[in-house]
Amino acid sequence: MELATAPRFLQVTSRVAENVLLARNTFRIRLHAPELAARIRPGQFLMVRLAGTSDPLLGRPFALYDTVLDAQDRPIALDVVYLVVGKMTTRLATLRPDDRVELWGPLGNGFPDLSGREHVALVAGGIGQTPFLAHVRELLGKRGYGGDPARRRVQRVSLYYGVRTADLAAGVEDFERAGAAVHVASDDGSVGFHGFVTQLLGRHEPPAHLVGCGPEPMLRALANLAGTWKVPCHLSLETPMACGVGICFSCVTRVRTDDGWDYRRVCVEGPVFDAANLARDDRTGMHHG
Amino acid sequence: MDLSATLGRLTLRNPILVASGTFGYAREMAGLVDFSKLGGIVPKTVTQKPRPGNAPPRTVETASGMLNAIGLDNDGIDHFIAHHLPYLRTLPTAIIANIAGKSEDEFVQMAEQIGKESGLAALELNLSCPNVSGGVDFAIHPEVTHRVIERVRAVCPLPLIAKLTPNVTDVVAIARAAADGGADCVSLINTIMGMAIDWKKRRPILGNTTGGLSGPAIKPVALRMVWQVARQVKVPVIGIGGIATVDDVMEFLVAGASAVQMGTVNFYDPSAAMRVVGQLPEALGVLGASSIREVVGTLD
Ligand SMILES: Cc1cc2nc3c(=O)[nH]c(=O)nc-3n(C[C@H](O)[C@H](O)[C@H](O)COP(=O)(O)O)c2cc1C
Ligand code: FES
Repeated sequence: MELATAPRFLQVTSRVAENVLLARNTFRIRLHAPELAARIRPGQFLMVRLAGTSDPLLGRPFALYDTVLDAQDRPIALDVVYLVVGKMTTRLATLRPDDRVELWGPLGNGFPDLSGREHVALVAGGIGQTPFLAHVRELLGKRGYGGDPARRRVQRVSLYYGVRTADLAAGVEDFERAGAAVHVASDDGSVGFHGFVTQLLGRHEPPAHLVGCGPEPMLRALANLAGTWKVPCHLSLETPMACGVGICFSCVTRVRTDDGWDYRRVCVEGPVFDAANLARDDRTGMHHG
Repeated sequence: MDLSATLGRLTLRNPILVASGTFGYAREMAGLVDFSKLGGIVPKTVTQKPRPGNAPPRTVETASGMLNAIGLDNDGIDHFIAHHLPYLRTLPTAIIANIAGKSEDEFVQMAEQIGKESGLAALELNLSCPNVSGGVDFAIHPEVTHRVIERVRAVCPLPLIAKLTPNVTDVVAIARAAADGGADCVSLINTIMGMAIDWKKRRPILGNTTGGLSGPAIKPVALRMVWQVARQVKVPVIGIGGIATVDDVMEFLVAGASAVQMGTVNFYDPSAAMRVVGQLPEALGVLGASSIREVVGTLD
């Protein structure tokens, strides 16, 4: 049984430090939130809500892109990268420095500790690259998170990143600077490999571990490739969330159980799952939605 | 200031409860919410057998509200008693279990079973969940409502709260039937049946096609129903529906609610209930009142 002691997450009003364009329709917003930045770990997320309005009403989940340190190397802010897709993100894109948002987090389980693996491949599609920057930096010992000191955990990290078209590729330089070998694929061939990111990945040597984040068809292809290669694979899922903290039961996905499957909350039991533990919907072949 | 709320046999520290299905099993909120500040917690509805719940998507945001069709995803009453109740009963606030039966017999059996457990302040009967297969709310007939409460009353010693659906033509008739059947109080409203459509795909957005509307969008409907029931039915009323701020709470109290439950707001402002409790004394002061009792049902 869990113990109800230390706060599992915090709710704070946060000041926007900057909100800059990274790629077409894609922004990086920097939010001043020292306590949250000190605790959040790669693969975890936070909920962001616009203050003072009931429309949009609910918060939206955003993965940690990276934490920001002050001059004394103390975490002071966190970055989130978002694609403008709807009512909330359209409004988010209009925020200026010193505007306020409501935040709560850190939420979710985060990525597993992959210490000791020689080569880890991170596979992203669409806006699914966002949780991976902090992960690369942690794996390569560039930065510690959640109070951990920086420590190199793996020899090599590759990012396989699939986009629809070149001008949607966001943050490639950030990943290169963090030390990842970046391989880009695009649906229209306008940048990198012409085709699916999982096809590109399939042309390389299997890594010791795979981690994926992106659209459902990509995750399915990745899980299949992992199965063929017999390489362990974790997937970070994105399901519709209302609360992010486990109280609404919106965000469920099918997880294998002893007697078949059961719906489990992605916001508390995930968002990162061992692909082998996910059960697909027989009707749709999908993990969710 | 006397913030206590009196609901027949049930007395609460203050009138702010959190609503069933919007606060999980409380554990999820430990650490963020100081439970000792709350008037009470109503955990998620429990059914007799485990239910996987509906296929996703289960919720979708609408203008100043949301639709949900969770489908009573829960592990059943035995699991609730074995795994959730032992934690809940340690919390420094009133715990009000909430059950839903598929039939009258199920309601009665579950009430009898849970009525034997210690650590519960009351039992709320979810007579109104619109998302269980069949799609029809349970308590849409006064006779059924009366009978199920009377039968539950006979086997369960806990104060009974009948949670009513707004998806009826005459909520007062249902509330009266609940009171006559022996309910200690009534709580209303549950969600209002609604729908969202993706016209480009010509498909409903929710996996369950229809769902229940909640949040600020439904507050005027809830307020109207609470007012109607409070002035015409003799048992205390717990107001529910779109309550997010201390002003909302005061409106419901003035309309006739003796206490309130905050629901959807927990999703988008997880510390709201706790904060509103802190703001109550000042709001009472505005009306020159020094207790909750003094403002309940004082609409001119
Ligand atoms: C996601 C969700 C799940 C709910 N689940 C339950 C439930 O299990 N049992 C119940 O009695 N009411 C349930 N409700 C209804 C709420 O308790 C409440 O009556 C309703 O949402 C109106 O209040 P609100 O506008 O403050 O949310 C649920 C509501 C929502 C939004
Ligand atoms: S988003 Fe509410 S339970 Fe996961």
